[in-house]
Amino acid sequence: MAEQAQPHVGEVIESGTAEFTAESRVLHGAPPFGAYVKIDGYPMIYAITYNISTQSIEPNRRPTAYGKTEDELRLEQPQIFELLRTEFNCLIIGYEDETGIYQNLPPHPPKIHNFVHFCSATEIANFTDQAHYLRPIFGQTRVPSDDLTIAAIRNAYLARGENGHYLVKAGKEVARLLKDDYDRLHSILERIHV
Amino acid sequence: MCIVLRSWYVVELTPIINMLDHIATKQQINLMVRNQWSAQRSSGNKLERAFQEARRWTVDWQHLTDKIARSKPSWLTAEIVEPVTLQRARPERPVEITVLATDGSQLFPDRHEVAACYLINIGTIVFHYGTGERPILSSIPTLFYTEEELFLEWNGKRTPVNADMVGVHRGIMELETLADLTKKVPVSTRKTVALSDGTLIDWTLEGKPDDFKNEMLRRTLASFDRFEKTKIPVAGYISSSNSADVVNALRVGLCPEDPVPACESCPQRTYHPDTPPCTAIEGVYDRALFGRVLKNPGDRSVVFRSTSEILKEYGRHRIFFFYVNVGFEIARIEVPAWVAEDTEMLNLVHSVVCDQVDKGKGYPIILAEAHEKAVVRGGDRELFYQLLSETYVRGGVRSEISRKNISKRRLLI
Repeated sequence: MAEQAQPHVGEVIESGTAEFTAESRVLHGAPPFGAYVKIDGYPMIYAITYNISTQSIEPNRRPTAYGKTEDELRLEQPQIFELLRTEFNCLIIGYEDETGIYQNLPPHPPKIHNFVHFCSATEIANFTDQAHYLRPIFGQTRVPSDDLTIAAIRNAYLARGENGHYLVKAGKEVARLLKDDYDRLHSILERIHV
Repeated sequence: MCIVLRSWYVVELTPIINMLDHIATKQQINLMVRNQWSAQRSSGNKLERAFQEARRWTVDWQHLTDKIARSKPSWLTAEIVEPVTLQRARPERPVEITVLATDGSQLFPDRHEVAACYLINIGTIVFHYGTGERPILSSIPTLFYTEEELFLEWNGKRTPVNADMVGVHRGIMELETLADLTKKVPVSTRKTVALSDGTLIDWTLEGKPDDFKNEMLRRTLASFDRFEKTKIPVAGYISSSNSADVVNALRVGLCPEDPVPACESCPQRTYHPDTPPCTAIEGVYDRALFGRVLKNPGDRSVVFRSTSEILKEYGRHRIFFFYVNVGFEIARIEVPAWVAEDTEMLNLVHSVVCDQVDKGKGYPIILAEAHEKAVVRGGDRELFYQLLSETYVRGGVRSEISRKNISKRRLLI
């Protein structure tokens, strides 16, 4: 597809059934929180970014404050940028093979060193046709799930050309998930900000 | 109560459980600290005296130089070529500049380990300042294992290489790799400085057999030739130097004899058996003296020529040195003659050294990074021996770890 001409945004460095960790190709260049990403392969895996962190690559060395801007540091402390790396964690939300798109966990996790790409608007729109994928996002305890849900809905809405019908569908799904907690539901819906 | 009752129990058990007798060690540490405290007290007075002597020769330094040339003191004296107490202010560093550095470490042949071989790991760093170009932070490991590499012809005898010689070899490789890095300078017009950790003087070669010494010297001088050819000044950075060659030169000035004879035949020892006049400033390090001379951070001293014996073989790369107040300490910087004689190169080295120490908050940052890349830590060490062992097994070669090393690895109860 034409979108594949984009360079990858990250490379898988840890892999598991329900999530993976990738190192971003460019320092500070991880996908934003809540972004839909994919890993090409068979099957193609869909995931959503839930955590981004930048740290020293050496465990016994920590960054320290210099009081200089990034541009100044690039000119005068160039080694800093070689010693830091940005990683991002993604929740796997589905996969696609020749039989269709599935919103459950793939049979095999991604391979280490697979490349991670942004999903195109079309891919996001196709994937989010069904809103069921919101349920596992919502049920996660390790991640800020309310914020992730909000970001997921918002990004899908934007990818679908700001489609109001979609918002209603997503809202209904969240309402189903939060039958007992009207306050929390209200807080989420209010914060989608469209 | 409970604690008192138990304390004798603990003392009883200590010799069995602890490997280090803490009580006996602490007693000796106390002695050592008392010893150093009294040494510091006396050195305060000596330092003042040394400073006075330095000031004495500010104008008349040529006389002192001539006297030293006539004399034969048994201690190493610097050759004074400029007024001793002059200070040179820190120049501004060029905005765009490239700095090169290397450092090395070794995994030395342990005859108890898997195989006879040794590894020298050289960290290589290239930083470009003021341009935003990406730096190089890398390392190059080299494994030595052939017969020629493990054994040396030493005075006609075949001798196995020892840790000392591997250290010398490593030092030479650091300099050669640093010379290789001159190829990484992006444009020929870029101002560049090459920094080395430690002395540029191969004094460890003194007294070694001629064939070994000559080969090592040849390689050292070939590296210096390359720096000279590419017009890239190379400098050695020495932190906490224990050199006293300038102070020793001043001691010659204190001696009433002219010329100063060798210590064994010194008449002053007859008149003052324990304290001939030259002892008035004995024991003062150069860095302490220049701590008094160089009041402003960033200032450097004048250059001095080193008279280390081995430097007779250095030709036009004879080593000069100067001291710099880098703010955190007084560092000693060594450079070949062709750098010392070129004001522009000298200023470049001076400005870069100060800038590097500022960035590294006490030590040149590029040397610290080179060290990080060179050093082989415990985990990497183990991995190295594991790789060796596995590769031997896969290659069908029997490898035997000595019984001693197996017991070092895992002590059983």
